[in-house]
Amino acid sequence: MRKKILLVEDEKNLCLLYKEELKEAGYSVTAVLDAESALESIKKQSFDLIITDIRMPGKDGIELITRVMAMRKDVPIIINTAYQSYKNDFMTWAADAYVVKSSSMAELKAKIKELIG
Amino acid sequence: MIERHQFLHREFQQETSKELQVFSIIAQSFFQPFSLIDNLLVILTALTAGPGVGFNRAMLFLANGDKLEGKFWLGPASAEKAASIWRVLSTPGIGYLEIIAHNRSFLSSEADALTKRITEISYPLSDASPLIPALAVSSREIILVKDSWHEPLVAPHFLETIDTDEFLCIPLLAEQEVLGEIILDNAITKLPIKGRDIELASICGLIAGNYIYTSRLQRRLVEMKRAAAMGEMAMFVTHQLRNPAVTIGGFVDQLLDPKFPTAKRKRNLQIIRDEVLVMERILLRLGQFFKLQIKEQVPVDVRELLNLVTEAVRPKIADSSVSVNTEVEESLTTIFCDPLHVGEALRNLVDNALDALGPTGQINLSARRNSADWAVISVQDNGRGIPDSVKGKIFEAFVSTKPQGMGLGLPYVKRIVDACGGRIEVESEEGKGTTFRLYLKAKPRERETPR
Repeated sequence: MRKKILLVEDEKNLCLLYKEELKEAGYSVTAVLDAESALESIKKQSFDLIITDIRMPGKDGIELITRVMAMRKDVPIIINTAYQSYKNDFMTWAADAYVVKSSSMAELKAKIKELIG
Repeated sequence: MIERHQFLHREFQQETSKELQVFSIIAQSFFQPFSLIDNLLVILTALTAGPGVGFNRAMLFLANGDKLEGKFWLGPASAEKAASIWRVLSTPGIGYLEIIAHNRSFLSSEADALTKRITEISYPLSDASPLIPALAVSSREIILVKDSWHEPLVAPHFLETIDTDEFLCIPLLAEQEVLGEIILDNAITKLPIKGRDIELASICGLIAGNYIYTSRLQRRLVEMKRAAAMGEMAMFVTHQLRNPAVTIGGFVDQLLDPKFPTAKRKRNLQIIRDEVLVMERILLRLGQFFKLQIKEQVPVDVRELLNLVTEAVRPKIADSSVSVNTEVEESLTTIFCDPLHVGEALRNLVDNALDALGPTGQINLSARRNSADWAVISVQDNGRGIPDSVKGKIFEAFVSTKPQGMGLGLPYVKRIVDACGGRIEVESEEGKGTTFRLYLKAKPRERETPR
């Protein structure tokens, strides 16, 4: 059974890239472009892992994390962002990992493996 | 009954006491847009302005790290020169501005001879047993040196430089910091330095110390603000460029994989091309923002300017039910600005208005006289308005409410208007609309000629 990942990334091309690469790595990936769609997906089905950007139009990644926590879904979350500086933001501590976007994706893949195998 | 008095006394009365004259000169200099060095020059000037007022010569040293460095030395180089200078300075009715102007030119001419002798010298402040002049700063005490040739605590090199047997050292201090030192003497008149002179000089020293301290704090504050703005900018640019860079890198890696399906290769190349365009657009916008150069302000026909703006927006509203109206007050014909940039600013504002409207709505572009020689150009829309949470920050760089926005549009508009000597203001209510007003210089109304 493939592990299910929910990917939230507002940059269209980047979203496509992550989706393809994670599928290639053996995961089942649901990719959405904003936090609102992410919350709808979470209501409909369960995921093994959520990967989200922070800065997004509409609801941002921090708000998404807060909502997911409020729903008492026990699902690990990885923040994948272009900002290094948010690492010090106390709300990002709620996430299980903080990854700064990189084209190699090795760090992201390693964190996923660490969290859900 | 009330009496009104002015702060600035341009002239001194003959009976004004010496102390009052000195403090008046110093206090008044703080009203002037002088530099730090200028103001210190004023303090030294006040202490040396004529034979009856104070000392003959004043030397300024400023602390730089662990060194005391010579800055300038004010005073006549010889008794003959002193006579002519003091005659000028004690002319009845001469004001502090004249004295300062005199001393400023003095420093760059003949007194250079004195200043040159000390600008090259410095004394270490970190010595375990410092000699005068460093001693006054290290011990944080005022030191009066008498019979200097027989005083072992005076640095021999300094004694050769100052070449007089009595002088006063006033350290410049503030809080825990050491800022410099003033050294005063009466080498020309040979008058002894009395208790009253020392008191006067010490108060001037406190003022000078405090003044240097405040100036340094101010400069540090400006630097910190600049650094903070730079940091914020760097963070934003990093983020903006990292997304396309990561996307390009990722899709290139796929292409480099020999197992990657041929059918998808062209798609990857297209995405890479698109993302490179995104990066170029970001760099172009940043370049525009930082390189803005306003040309000369010229008379501009306000109707023509607004027409060009509406012409530019027409294709964008062709498929929507947005209407753009233009209205110019009859008596207003000419404004003064850089038409190219102000036109760009107005197009920017109209584009923002279009974004705020969506498919329907109205934009009013109008120009009217605000006063005899000021015009106000308004860009008004009945769109969604600016949220209260960002209203105070819309003219700050890198603040955007748009998904792909860099937050450079409105700061750019503001920079243009500022550079044209104008002013911009905004009025906005959520759900009702936004009005931007640009205040620019206008040609005064022509007087009606009598018939």
